[in-house]
Amino acid sequence: MTELLRVEDVVRTFGGVRAVDGASFAVADHSVTGLIGPNGAGKSTLFATIAGSLKPDSGRIVFGSARIDRRPVHRIARAGLVRTYQAARVLTRMTVLDNVLLASAAHPGERLAGLVLRPGAARAHERRILERAHDLLALVRLESHAHAYAGTLSGGQRKLLDLARVLMLEPSLVLLDEPMAGVNPALREELLERILAIRRDRGVTFLIVEHDLDFVMQAADSVVVMNEGKVILVGTPGEVRVDERVVDAYLGKAH
Amino acid sequence: MSILASGGFWAFVGVVAGIYTILALGLQVQFGFAGLLNFGQVGFMAIGAYTMAILVVKEGWSTWLAAPLGIAAAAVGGLLLGLPSLRLRADYFAIVTIAFSEIIRYVATNDTALTGGSQGTIALGPIGTASQYNGQWSSFEARVQHALGFSSSDATMLVLVWGVAVVLLALCWLALRTPWGRVLRAIREDEDATASLGKNVFAYKLQALALGAALAGIAGLFYAWEFSFFSPDDFQPLLTFFAWMILLLGGLGRVWAVPVGAGVFGFIFAGTRFLDFAPFTWFASDQRAYLRLIIIGLIIIVLVLVRPQGLLGNKREMVLE
Repeated sequence: MTELLRVEDVVRTFGGVRAVDGASFAVADHSVTGLIGPNGAGKSTLFATIAGSLKPDSGRIVFGSARIDRRPVHRIARAGLVRTYQAARVLTRMTVLDNVLLASAAHPGERLAGLVLRPGAARAHERRILERAHDLLALVRLESHAHAYAGTLSGGQRKLLDLARVLMLEPSLVLLDEPMAGVNPALREELLERILAIRRDRGVTFLIVEHDLDFVMQAADSVVVMNEGKVILVGTPGEVRVDERVVDAYLGKAH
Repeated sequence: MSILASGGFWAFVGVVAGIYTILALGLQVQFGFAGLLNFGQVGFMAIGAYTMAILVVKEGWSTWLAAPLGIAAAAVGGLLLGLPSLRLRADYFAIVTIAFSEIIRYVATNDTALTGGSQGTIALGPIGTASQYNGQWSSFEARVQHALGFSSSDATMLVLVWGVAVVLLALCWLALRTPWGRVLRAIREDEDATASLGKNVFAYKLQALALGAALAGIAGLFYAWEFSFFSPDDFQPLLTFFAWMILLLGGLGRVWAVPVGAGVFGFIFAGTRFLDFAPFTWFASDQRAYLRLIIIGLIIIVLVLVRPQGLLGNKREMVLE
């Protein structure tokens, strides 16, 4: 397997609490990898550390062939590793379309010098990404809402918009933070189908933190299980489902 | 009532409103576009005015070279302020900006050799001479007045200030509609989410701060030219808060709300000068001066309560929170 992301002995503490305590695992290229574990296992902290909004106390994070654990968030995103948030952080005071357009990378019109010196290039880029933005909105079936304020969307729709927005960056790895939380059952099937289609058609790799184990078992090729800041098991959904350590972690040893 | 009916007086009110428009437009770029709480705007105005006056009087520069340098100096002031302090949380940044503008004012007051100190620009030159920095400006203004066929210099200044203000407003309006402006609006709403989409939030904030500072520098130039003399006391923090009132009155995030806010503010501010009828005549004139400020404050509170988005603001896009 080709590795796209490797997390090596990452430690992140808050005061005296070792939220992530020497976690190591790898994410294979083109995979859908699930990251599960009981509350407080350190999943969210590890997620934020991979995406760059938290810096690890020690350990290494390698994305592709480059170390990213000291880079600022925006440079990690530009390198092709982007995250979504549990409560989708769409920009509610901008239109749905503007939310997607915003995510376009290397836009000459986003630089003042580019606007003044190469206005033609800025306009041409904007035209190109306009087409792509509409395609992405069609992909997540939000096309009819393109010109509405993102604040008018429901929680589930915001998650879909967040997904479309992240894809605008043409990432190679997308971190999804609880994509199923607060999503109704009808949309759930659709989201699963979208994620698998995006992986198939665009070659995007997904790392998904999710409490909905059924969803993880359906979606993932590989599952990473965390408990108390450590990775306790990596395996296929079938292996993880029957492993006693996982049951112990979720229910406590005394069950 | 004679002064109320005089065209010269209202032209003066209009000139001041134009200068405030440019000053508050800088805040609109910083706060309305990018969400930066700058309470030190008057400091950049002082940098623009002093840089121009010092270069003209002490270095003998042409006004037309000294003026752009004044604007550039204000922008550089914005960069220097932003580099160490923009990483602070919004409320701490706001405190630093007040301190910054006060530092500028105190330096202007105390570094007599550089600025003329508390005596103001009249003391810029050698002792015993009354220094003037706006000879070239005045002859330019006279030529414009002649070309327009105006009878008063107040009306000429009105045209000049508002001509520049309208051009600057149009440029900002255009800038907000570019992809660059879109990134600023995104930062205003959620800078972490914007960073996670690959935008260098710090660089954008720095640009917004420097551009807003440059606009304050332009306001400083017109202030200097309009009054032919200024001193450090002209750059009290109160001026920054007047600019904020204009922004709140007009509406946040909308470029054209700024001149509307400035017009309303100028009208209230000038209009309340003439409270020379009952019940105001029951008070002594010095008491009336304070009464005027109380009335201005009340009018603004009522306006903000009734229309929290400002007169022209879009409620869905920006409400004062």
